[in-house]
Amino acid sequence: MKLMAVLLAQVLALLLINQAGYAVVSVLHLPVPGNLLGMLFLLILLVTGVVPLRWIEASASLLIRHLAFFFIPIAVGLMAFGELFLDNGLAILLTLVVSAAVGIWVSGLSAQRLGAWGRRKKP
Amino acid sequence: MGTEEEAVSLWTTGFCIGVTLGAYLLSRRLARRYPSPLTTPVFFSATLIILILAQSGLRTADYEPAQRIMVFLLGPATVSLAVPLYKNRQTLLRNTLPALLGLGVGSLVTLGAALLLARILGLPEVIRASISIKSVTAPIAVELAPIIHGSQPLTVAFVIATGMIGTMLGPWLMTITGIHDPLSRGLALGTISHGQGTAQAVSEGELQGAAAGIAMGLAAIFTSCIAPVVVPMLR
Repeated sequence: MKLMAVLLAQVLALLLINQAGYAVVSVLHLPVPGNLLGMLFLLILLVTGVVPLRWIEASASLLIRHLAFFFIPIAVGLMAFGELFLDNGLAILLTLVVSAAVGIWVSGLSAQRLGAWGRRKKP
Repeated sequence: MGTEEEAVSLWTTGFCIGVTLGAYLLSRRLARRYPSPLTTPVFFSATLIILILAQSGLRTADYEPAQRIMVFLLGPATVSLAVPLYKNRQTLLRNTLPALLGLGVGSLVTLGAALLLARILGLPEVIRASISIKSVTAPIAVELAPIIHGSQPLTVAFVIATGMIGTMLGPWLMTITGIHDPLSRGLALGTISHGQGTAQAVSEGELQGAAAGIAMGLAAIFTSCIAPVVVPMLR
């Protein structure tokens, strides 16, 4: 019972931070997602020590563990896209595979090269 | 008349929520017992729910109220992603330059490659916009989609597919191309395959996992800032 109350309070706090993100986005007309700004707000609160990790950790890890759940209702909307998918399946798959492969290769290689160069410079 | 309609839709909404929760719980069990891309909770559950809705003669519009109720906690869940970023901050501070370069270049290249290929292959505009942000972690991608005129359900499908593709292909690709540095491997997996890539990186090692967690969060921030500018240009 006490655990439930703690979790609820933590989720409310996270909800409040999220709303703050959306409020700032709408007031300043920023072209970025409000929840992204909320995430940055929480990061700043944690880094500056205003909010200790233990205040929100329990509910944060619970929500992250079940993050996949939230995409199920959204993915059900694919119902309306059935034909689009069937008509373009191969082109979509090719685009996804090639862009992922190129991205992973470039990302890993550039980090590795710069890392090695940095280590050579200051042994 | 009006009340009758409301009563029906309330029942429908309850039914939709019940079916969704049931499918999710079932998929978690299945995924634990038979781990495979086909038992991934989102893929398995969404397919099952669509089949059930179609069988019951329900349409996307009937499911919408239930959807709005269920995604209510997505915002706080996204905010929670600050926790892994915070926990792994030391890894970032020790490797700032290679980490930022790797995730920045990787995000830009994968976005550009997806947009160009989609255009060459003649995919419709709504697909091109949605596919460009497939490497952004899903909770942020679904909010980014409307900003760049993409579709939320398409974006979810592309994001999850990219998670699977990168997780299956990435480790092998990096091994054959000589990318052995643990930080760089984790970084690439997190940048391109977000949460699923991070889970894969964790299984490779602690440093890989930490690098992936950082890359997932920062790449989402980076792509959210550049996509509204770059996507309309290349689309």
